[in-house]
Amino acid sequence: MSKINAEARMVTTYRPHMKIIGDILSTTRDDLHSDGGASVTYLIRKANVSHTRISKILSNLVSQGLLEQVNSEGTFRYKISSNGREFLVAYQTFSRFAENFGLVI
Amino acid sequence: MEFILENILNLIGFIVGLTIGILSYIGFKNTGSPTLFRLGIAFLSISVGFFVVWAGYMAEDFVLQKGHIEKWVQTLGIGIQTIGYFFIAFSHSIKSFFPKSRYLRSVGMLPLFLVSAVHIEHILRSVSFILLAYGAIETILSYFEGKKKGTIFVALGLSFLAFGEFLGWYSFVFPESILYYVSISIKIAGLISLFIPISKIPLTKIKFDSEF
Repeated sequence: MSKINAEARMVTTYRPHMKIIGDILSTTRDDLHSDGGASVTYLIRKANVSHTRISKILSNLVSQGLLEQVNSEGTFRYKISSNGREFLVAYQTFSRFAENFGLVI
Repeated sequence: MEFILENILNLIGFIVGLTIGILSYIGFKNTGSPTLFRLGIAFLSISVGFFVVWAGYMAEDFVLQKGHIEKWVQTLGIGIQTIGYFFIAFSHSIKSFFPKSRYLRSVGMLPLFLVSAVHIEHILRSVSFILLAYGAIETILSYFEGKKKGTIFVALGLSFLAFGEFLGWYSFVFPESILYYVSISIKIAGLISLFIPISKIPLTKIKFDSEF
């Protein structure tokens, strides 16, 4: 019973927009072993976001220069840019800062 | 004795508030997070509030020499601090604090009318106490979710500030007693506790915006 409750809580836990962006950027920085970039499907699975939502977020991140869009064999793949790396370091540091106050950024 | 303790408290409050406020604002400029913006407003207000009271004591001691701080200056400083405490509580979604039933809301408003005859400083102190207590409880609850050691220090800091505020308010009932000094000492301990986790953040790794 308690396991079910814990799982239900995990599913219903609210994840702020900033956290989703952090997850996407971390995935593109840490989880890729080749220079080809991450596919949308891979990012959907890793960041656990719907296709509609991730499409908007990805185009936003590309327009802000945090991600680079690469056209590889007819599909778009995404790589983290140097600005994206800097943003991610700042995000992770200030995320820890806010956690000290019991807050999520 | 009162002058020295008040000066120590207000200077520590000013420095701690300013440091956390600036860090939060830098965080907001780097990430665009509204939470950090609210936290920045909160601690910058607290910092300004402590500074106003400190300036009041300084003006009294070196210029006016009346033997007591101007009441309106102290009230103004405490008022600005209360705004800061409100934003800390607001960051924890203050909506959940207020009871949903109309009856409880109306009863909850009663103390405001009961104390309306009392000086505005008393009201501000009691409001500060409620906001700080709420912030402390929410921070403790966050600790149980994240188990982060720094959160305990912040929760402890807010609890000490709340308790210090309560004793400070209570010392109006027993003026000239030790309660006032205990209140200031507890508040100083609270501010130091708030600063401990912030001092451990490795900010040197971050490349700040060109403005900073």
